[in-house]
Amino acid sequence: MSNNAAKNLFIYGSLLCFVVLIILTVDTMGTLKDRAPEITEKVDLGKQVWHKYDCIGCHTIFGNGSYFAPDMTKVTERKPLDYLKKFIMNPRAVKPGTAMPVLGISAEEADNLIAFLVWTSKVDTNGWPPKPILALGGNKKESAGEALFRKNDCAACHQINGMGGTAGPDLTHVGSKRPDINWHMRHLKNPQSVVPDSAMPPFEDLTEDELADLAGYLIEFK
Amino acid sequence: MQYKSQKIAQNFYTAAVLLFLVQVIVGIVAALQFMWPDFFFLNFNTVRTLHINALVVWLLMGMMGATYYVVPEESETELWSVPLANLQFWATVFAVGLVIIGYIVMGINPQANMQVFGTNLLNEGREYIEAPRWADVLIVISVLLFLFNCVMTVLKTKKFTAVQGVLLGGLTFLALMYLPGMFYTKSMVMDQYWWWWVVHLWVEGSWELIAAALLAFMLHKLLGTDVKVLAKWMYIEVGLVMFTGILGLGHHYYWIGTPKYWLWVGGIFSSLEPIPLLLMVWDAFRTTRETRAPVSNRLGLYLTVSHAIFNFVGAGLWGVVHTLPQVNKWTHGTQVTTAHGHLAFYGAYVLLVVAMIYVTLPSIRGVKEYNQTRGYLSFWWMTISMIFIVITITGAGMVQTYLERLFGLDYVTVKANYNLWFWIFRAIFGAGFLVGVLILVVDYFKLGKEKA
Repeated sequence: MSNNAAKNLFIYGSLLCFVVLIILTVDTMGTLKDRAPEITEKVDLGKQVWHKYDCIGCHTIFGNGSYFAPDMTKVTERKPLDYLKKFIMNPRAVKPGTAMPVLGISAEEADNLIAFLVWTSKVDTNGWPPKPILALGGNKKESAGEALFRKNDCAACHQINGMGGTAGPDLTHVGSKRPDINWHMRHLKNPQSVVPDSAMPPFEDLTEDELADLAGYLIEFK
Repeated sequence: MQYKSQKIAQNFYTAAVLLFLVQVIVGIVAALQFMWPDFFFLNFNTVRTLHINALVVWLLMGMMGATYYVVPEESETELWSVPLANLQFWATVFAVGLVIIGYIVMGINPQANMQVFGTNLLNEGREYIEAPRWADVLIVISVLLFLFNCVMTVLKTKKFTAVQGVLLGGLTFLALMYLPGMFYTKSMVMDQYWWWWVVHLWVEGSWELIAAALLAFMLHKLLGTDVKVLAKWMYIEVGLVMFTGILGLGHHYYWIGTPKYWLWVGGIFSSLEPIPLLLMVWDAFRTTRETRAPVSNRLGLYLTVSHAIFNFVGAGLWGVVHTLPQVNKWTHGTQVTTAHGHLAFYGAYVLLVVAMIYVTLPSIRGVKEYNQTRGYLSFWWMTISMIFIVITITGAGMVQTYLERLFGLDYVTVKANYNLWFWIFRAIFGAGFLVGVLILVVDYFKLGKEKA
């Protein structure tokens, strides 16, 4: 190959690839509307809060950003919104020892930010992040309390034997710490009635029987 | 050095090595914050912003310095305007200083990052391009002045050599690709779409063009190889860089809310991205082997070949292992990406600028021979430390992928419990890297000023 041929291949090849990229870009821009909910003013304001506090300096969103703190794309799917609001405004009051600092985010900013995160959770991301495959295995019989624990996704915030979230307290030894079943029933129904500053949402839909089953399941963890 | 005006390169090199030192010191602070988030007066986000912005700026400064050296030599004339180059240098230093102060102010008081004319005053809150809009404008002006000065120099003698064609072409492409990062969009999907144009088309596009051009320049200067042969391979390399890299952009569009066809486009083209990088390694070895004349600047050659090797390993191999969508679905957003980022930047661009400094600085300082001992020492401290840093982060990424993504464990649990030892080792090897950088800085200031 002569130098001129190599040079032409470089220049015209690059231009061709760039033209293809522009065509794909135009096509992609046309599809974005159908792949995400409408962007309200609140969502836009929330995105501005995201930028203002340089959230991406620690977190990732759509998997891009820093890798110092959890990904935020689908955070609103599993975490109660009230909990998120309290946490964003004063992380260490909700979860002592967390790495997240108090940034001075106002209540209004927190609401907007959550609206933005609800929006990102509904974007069609081609199935990312994937559901953990190993956690779905197993076919052992579970008790009524255990089934309720799973149905209400308690593991989104609480950990038992290393499995589960860290937003709320670890429940591995909750039975030794709080052996009273009635305390748990009251707590599940209305957490603030027994723990005034709690960021946990109330589970008002549970019947008395269900409360007893779930509380009974919890106090077994000695 | 044949032309007096080439000396201007030294200003840029000095700023580059000093910022490199700053980058590595804040990098160690960031590594320690993985264990003690509160020990420093700035939060992790600010420290990381300083770490990655210092990196980008010092590499750009190094590339600009290198270009100011290359263009007069290729054009066989003095630089069009030395005062303009000086002005551009000091204006850049001043603007970068202001931006850094802004980051620190925001780190101390986040509320200071207020909106002025619809943009954030101190920090845009977008990774790598955190610099606020007013600074973006200054950066663009600086790069345009720089390009103008270089183009005017070329036009003086109209010697359009292949090396400076690709070098200036790469720099123009770089300037153009900064623009997609300079507007606000309400959609986070669109935000990331255009943001990747800047980040990807820089490091996997225009910067690789600059690297290929400087590689050809260094091989010619060190070994006296025929320019025609070097130019032909350079064109093939950059042709393949663009052919694989432009549409390889698709590997960033798998999971951000863009259509599914990007899985095919990104998967196919980005899998081919290591090929031109492997060709560069072969190019460096072939040229070296075919040279019969003795090489006086052995360290310069050593660094040039090392750059080619680690460009391939870091940017190529460490990238291709997680570029297929089937794999990337599980590894995306984990420490696997961090490991790739560290080795790619080190191999492709840190070693490129360091090599360029060692190839050109002796002649700038007016010496033929210089003491190469410290240069080798610094290279090995940096390279061995970086290899271990990358091994620890790769380990952390694999543990994270398995436990968090496949097993469903919580992010914080994995980070705090299972990966703790990786963070400890990473910080220790970070200190080793700092030793290498300190030796480099000392050697930079002493080179040519003591007996060879």
